[in-house]
Amino acid sequence: MTWLQLSFKEWRRRPLRTGVTAGGVAIATAALFSLLAFQRGYREGVRRELDRLGAHVLLAPKGCPYDAASMALHGASWPCYLKQDYLAGVRSVRGVAAAAPVFMAALYDAASTQVVYEGVETNILALKTNWRIKGAFPGQEGVLLAGSETARRLRWQIGQQVQLPGLSGHAAILTGILEPTGGADDTFLYLRLADAQRLFQRPNQLTHILVRLADPNQLDHVVADLRGCDAGLAMNVVPLAHVFHTIQSLVNATRLLLGCIALVALLVAGAGVSNTILMAVAERRREIGVMRALGASRANIFHLLWLETVQVCFTGAAAGVLVAFLASRGVEGWVRASLPFGPTDALIQWDWPIAAACLLSALGLGSLAGFPPAWHAASVPPMTAIRTAGGRG
Amino acid sequence: MIAALVQDGWVVSATGLTRVYQRGREQVRALDDVSFNVRRGEFLAIVGPSGAGKTTLLNMVGCMDAPTAGTLELLGKPVQHLTERERTLFRREQVGFVFQHFGLLPTLTVAENIVLPAFFAGRTSGRRLDELLTKVGLDQRRDHRPCELSGGEMQRVAIARALINRPQLLLADEPTGNLDQATGQAIIALFEELNRDGLTIVAVTHNPLLARTAHRQLELSDGRLGLSVSRKEKARGASASG
Repeated sequence: MTWLQLSFKEWRRRPLRTGVTAGGVAIATAALFSLLAFQRGYREGVRRELDRLGAHVLLAPKGCPYDAASMALHGASWPCYLKQDYLAGVRSVRGVAAAAPVFMAALYDAASTQVVYEGVETNILALKTNWRIKGAFPGQEGVLLAGSETARRLRWQIGQQVQLPGLSGHAAILTGILEPTGGADDTFLYLRLADAQRLFQRPNQLTHILVRLADPNQLDHVVADLRGCDAGLAMNVVPLAHVFHTIQSLVNATRLLLGCIALVALLVAGAGVSNTILMAVAERRREIGVMRALGASRANIFHLLWLETVQVCFTGAAAGVLVAFLASRGVEGWVRASLPFGPTDALIQWDWPIAAACLLSALGLGSLAGFPPAWHAASVPPMTAIRTAGGRG
Repeated sequence: MIAALVQDGWVVSATGLTRVYQRGREQVRALDDVSFNVRRGEFLAIVGPSGAGKTTLLNMVGCMDAPTAGTLELLGKPVQHLTERERTLFRREQVGFVFQHFGLLPTLTVAENIVLPAFFAGRTSGRRLDELLTKVGLDQRRDHRPCELSGGEMQRVAIARALINRPQLLLADEPTGNLDQATGQAIIALFEELNRDGLTIVAVTHNPLLARTAHRQLELSDGRLGLSVSRKEKARGASASG
C-alpha cells in the first residue's frame, strides 16, 4: 500500500460527488486549454498563412487593408482593380526583390462550391518557395495548374483536358498539380495572367501585387518608397508584418478578458474542491481520529487529505484537457464563425507545453485547495476515535 | 529496551491522575486524583457508570490526551509531558487500540485495514499479517471489505490491526458493546488467549462477563477510583455469597 493508493481508495466512497467535483475542474481546465491553444493556434495560423503567401508587402486597390489581406489569402472576387502598368513602377523601387502580379476571381461551380482562379506569372515561384509542382507550371495559353485539393475533388489527372468549373464552354489542359501546402493554395486554380484577364474580361488589370523584399529588415523604408512612387498613390501598400501584428494585438486584447474568465472558473472549481473535501473531512472525522489513534501523525493525515485533493484536481484537469482536445473541432467552428479573420489552419491544436501548463495549473490549484481541508483534518485529535462513538464514560 | 525496563515491572503506573475540562465557564473534573498500576501481562477491566471517567482514563493511558495533574508512566516512561509527536510515536509503537465501533476504514480490505498501523510506521508486514489473519481466523476474508463482514468478524479484524505492530499494551473501549452475546463471548475468548500469550490488556467495559474474565476490575465513579477487585477476591466473594 502507498499513500497514493490509500488516497485513491477514497474515490470509491462517494464516486458521484468526486466525479462532479472533478468535473468542475475539468470544465475550468478545458476552458483554459482551449483559450491557450486557440491563442497559440491563431497566432501560428496567421503567421503560417502569411508565410505561405511568400510576400512581405501586399499591394491592393484602395480600401480596407485587412479585407485585402483576407481576400488575397483565402480567395475572393475583388470589388476593384489595379492597373497592370503600376507593376513597372513597383519593380523600380529599391529593395524590391520580386513583384508578382495576380489576377484573382472567385466563381461557384455546378455543385455550388467556390472555385478561385488566379492568374499569375512565372515569377510567382520566386515568392512561393514552398510550392512543389507535379508536372509543369502554366507557361502557355490554355493550360492550367490545379491545387491538390481541387484536383483531388474533381479527380483530375495531369495531361487531361478539363472543363473550367464555373466557366461553361471553356476548357484547359491540366499541366500540373500543386502538392499539398496546407493552405488555401490547395483549393485554387492557376492560369497564365493573360489567360485569366481574358477569361474574366479584365485586360491589363490586376487584383493585387505580391512584393518580396531583398532585405525584410528594410520593410519600413521600402514601404515608404512604394507609397511615394507614382503608382503608390493609387494603391494600398499593406506591409503584411503590420497586418500580423495588428491582428495579434486585437487577439491579445481579448486574451486578457478571456484569461480572467478562465482564472475565475479555475478559482471557483478550486473552491468547490476545497468545500467537497472539507465536507468529506467532517463526515470522516471519526475515521481520521481512528487513524490518529493507530499512529498516524498530523503530517500523515495532512498528506493523505492533500493528496486526495490534488488527485481530484489532477484527474479533473486531465479529463478537461482531453475533452477540450476532442471538442476542439466544434469549438473551432463556433469561434471561426465569429472571427473576422481566421487562418485556414486548425485554430486549436494539441500542444504538449499547453497541456502540461494546464495540468501544472491544476496541480497548483489542488495544492492550494487541499490546504484548508488537509489542515482541518490534521487537527482532528485522536480522542475523536473514542469520543464520537458515544461520548460515554 | 522498553521491554527490558518493564519486565516484571508496571506497564501503566498512574499517580494522582487528574483531568479537568473547561465547558463554558464551568470546570468539569473528569478524573480526580486517580492512582493505579497495571502489571505486565495483566488483564484489567475498567468499569463504572456512564460519565464516570472511563473513556477519559483510556484516552490518558492511550497517550491520546494529557493529564491536567498527576504523573503517568507507560512502560517505565513518564508520558504526561510528551509532545504530540512523541505521543503519536509512542501510540504507534507501543499501544494497540480496539474500539466499540470497530473503526475499520470502509474503503479498505481486511488485509489493508490490518496493516494500516504498520503502514503509518513505515514498515512492511506480510508475514505478520498472515500470522494475525490465522490467529483471528480470517484467512479466507483477507480481500473482503468491512461491509461484507459480520460484527464479530469486524471486531476480530480490529483486534488483528491492534496487534500488527506488536504493541506492549492493548487498550479496548467497550470491545463487545456492539456485538451479540455469543459473538461477544468469542471476542472475550480471543482476549483471554492474547492475554495468556503475555499481552497486557486494559479494557473499558459494561459487559459483566468481560469484567469477570479480567484479572482485576477498577471501578470508577464520578471521576474517582472506587473499588479495585481482583479475580481471587471476586471468586472468594462469589463462594462466600454462595
